Amino acid sequence: MTPWPPLLALLIVVPLTGAVITPVVGRTRAVRSANWSLGVMLATSVIALVLVVQVARVGPFSYVVGGWVAPYGIELRFDEFGAVIAVICLLGTLAIVFSRRYAARAMAEQRIPYYYALLLLNLTGMIGFAVTGDLFNLFVFMEILSLSGYALVAVSGEKIAEMAAFKYLIMGAISSLVILLAIGILYALTGSLNMADVTERLGGAPAAPLAVAFGALTLGFMVKAAAFPLHIWLPDAHAIAPSPVSAILSGLVVKVGIIGMLRVYQIAYGSGAVDMTALNTVLMWLGALSIVMGAFFAVFQDDIKMMLAYSTISNIGYIIMGLGLASSYGMIGASVHVFNHAIIKATLFLGAGALIFQTGKRTLTDLAGVGHAMPWTVAAISVGAISIVGIPPTAGFVCKWYIALGAVQAGHPFFAFALVFGALFIFIYYIRMVNAFYFRQPRDPAILEVTEAPASMLVPVLILASLCLIMGVMGSVPLSFIEPAVQRLLLPLGGG
Amino acid sequence: MIRRALVIFVLVVVAIPLMLAMAELPPHGSPDAPPQTHVAPYYLEHGPEEAGAENVVTAVILNYRGFDTQGEVTVIFTAMAAVVAVLVAGGAGVPAERTAAPTTTPVSLIVRFIVRVLAPFIVLFSVYVILNGHVTPGGGFQGGTILGALLIALTLIMSESDARALLPQRPERLLQAAAPLTFFAVGMTGLLLTGDYLAYPHSGPTIWIATLMLTVVEIGIGIGGAMVVATIFRTMGADR
Repeated sequence: MTPWPPLLALLIVVPLTGAVITPVVGRTRAVRSANWSLGVMLATSVIALVLVVQVARVGPFSYVVGGWVAPYGIELRFDEFGAVIAVICLLGTLAIVFSRRYAARAMAEQRIPYYYALLLLNLTGMIGFAVTGDLFNLFVFMEILSLSGYALVAVSGEKIAEMAAFKYLIMGAISSLVILLAIGILYALTGSLNMADVTERLGGAPAAPLAVAFGALTLGFMVKAAAFPLHIWLPDAHAIAPSPVSAILSGLVVKVGIIGMLRVYQIAYGSGAVDMTALNTVLMWLGALSIVMGAFFAVFQDDIKMMLAYSTISNIGYIIMGLGLASSYGMIGASVHVFNHAIIKATLFLGAGALIFQTGKRTLTDLAGVGHAMPWTVAAISVGAISIVGIPPTAGFVCKWYIALGAVQAGHPFFAFALVFGALFIFIYYIRMVNAFYFRQPRDPAILEVTEAPASMLVPVLILASLCLIMGVMGSVPLSFIEPAVQRLLLPLGGG
Repeated sequence: MIRRALVIFVLVVVAIPLMLAMAELPPHGSPDAPPQTHVAPYYLEHGPEEAGAENVVTAVILNYRGFDTQGEVTVIFTAMAAVVAVLVAGGAGVPAERTAAPTTTPVSLIVRFIVRVLAPFIVLFSVYVILNGHVTPGGGFQGGTILGALLIALTLIMSESDARALLPQRPERLLQAAAPLTFFAVGMTGLLLTGDYLAYPHSGPTIWIATLMLTVVEIGIGIGGAMVVATIFRTMGADR
């Protein structure tokens, strides 16, 4: 059975409209906005599920909004990479559940309805970004998710929150501008904004504008993805934001840069007009640098959320390296790591959020021994830590294994070495964390009196932790799901 | 000094490839350039009869690429939600009830008088710009900004309680979301009428329905835009 075609448009407009109504619903009692946004996200998840099942069965499909035909109207295109919406819906729902108790304590009552509205807008922006087939539409959704992202960092009300958000805003605005410039150049060259149409019409375009356009797109998306030296906005923003927001920002929002990059590849390889070799080399090095530097900085962090934020840079490095290798194994590993890292990092950030919420402490030194007081939360964090290091049979292993294979396949064994080296570093600091939670003497014995997190926090964390394990055991499912998309992408290169 | 030299160096390094690229782009405005030969001619040829708007710019932003505009009005709403979420009731406690007008210095008699005299004309002009949107390359956004500017001017000369009455509390939040909500309503109407989201009846005897729907969207954008502009101003001025 084919789902109703406009469902693809409803996937975006249902949460979009739900978001703008949230402040209305929560006008008299803030808790209503929590219930409302949960309902909106659940409805969106149902739509997303139908679409993902559809793409798994018949492959990519598209829908043109407004009843026009493709280059004239705006085309939404749903392919295997777009299936990231399933993770967006899952994490969004869990973050909203987690926020219920968290927001009530962390922010003033009047802020809460707007907090949920922004959270929904952020998620909607990502959903739209993932499924649109139009370059300008992509930019519009990127703006929705970026703007709401800046605000969500500032909303926590912590001392340096405004500063962190401002830094994020400046970097984000520059990257958006650079991407807009590139879209403008592509429009000037082809007269079209539809991605498939641009791909077809790009052949024979002059080299210099093409090089600038694709360079600008890559630069812009690398800032969004926080690749090392362009990462400077990330640690503060991700560490200061409210924990459910950190989970969304670190798990999903940085992936926008990766999804954007995949779209760039689709246009570049599909048109055959651009030689991506030089850019790919840059990406490989950026990836390797990000892995090592992210891990290096993470080792010196005492603040648990700061450490997780730096760890995101490492993991984005894996993904970028996988993309830059331009081999089928590397690409598959990178794409699946987009999904898996989202789940793992959300486990860790929500788990850390629960610890901070219950204890009021956020450094490893202060949190020593907390494993005895909050056994379930810490167990979930440990599962997340094992996953992110990439120890089998958890979710992190398969992707890294594939990316390493990809490095060998592409004839760059050196990068496989960088990957293993980075994994060692990561192993060190996560071991340090788990060790502190379980085996170090508590600095303040009062920490042993702390009780386990409330159900609205514990349940999302446990669900995510079990997903880390499930994704590891069933690791071949996402791999074979994403494979056709990667094969299609690399086809013009001669198989891969 | 070194810093300044470095800045100049970076600017030059960035500028050279950009200028090279611009030089190789198809000349701007040339009739042979792809932007003039691919999608645009279709809009020019068919827009007036099938899009329900005499003006082609309006036809593109509200009809052919209406989904983008729905996104844009949501961007504007997001900006407002961001300002409110960050500034309303700072992290520490609830602020005291606001009593004084947002301005610290009393407004001069001349300003009061001029704003009062001009207000009806400004309203009239904004309504004209909004409703005339489908025949001119303007509409909801421009008209809404004019209306919003008036709301700001009125907030400046009125006492806080009067200004509050101007923006009633109960429907305030609904009106702030007027633009995206109107888009949703019109989009769903299109879904019912034609079977496609945000589709308007194309050409034929029912084209007036399309014009009507476009006008509704313009009004929604106008009201929503005005409320967003005024809300951002009031929220940012609230502490002063």
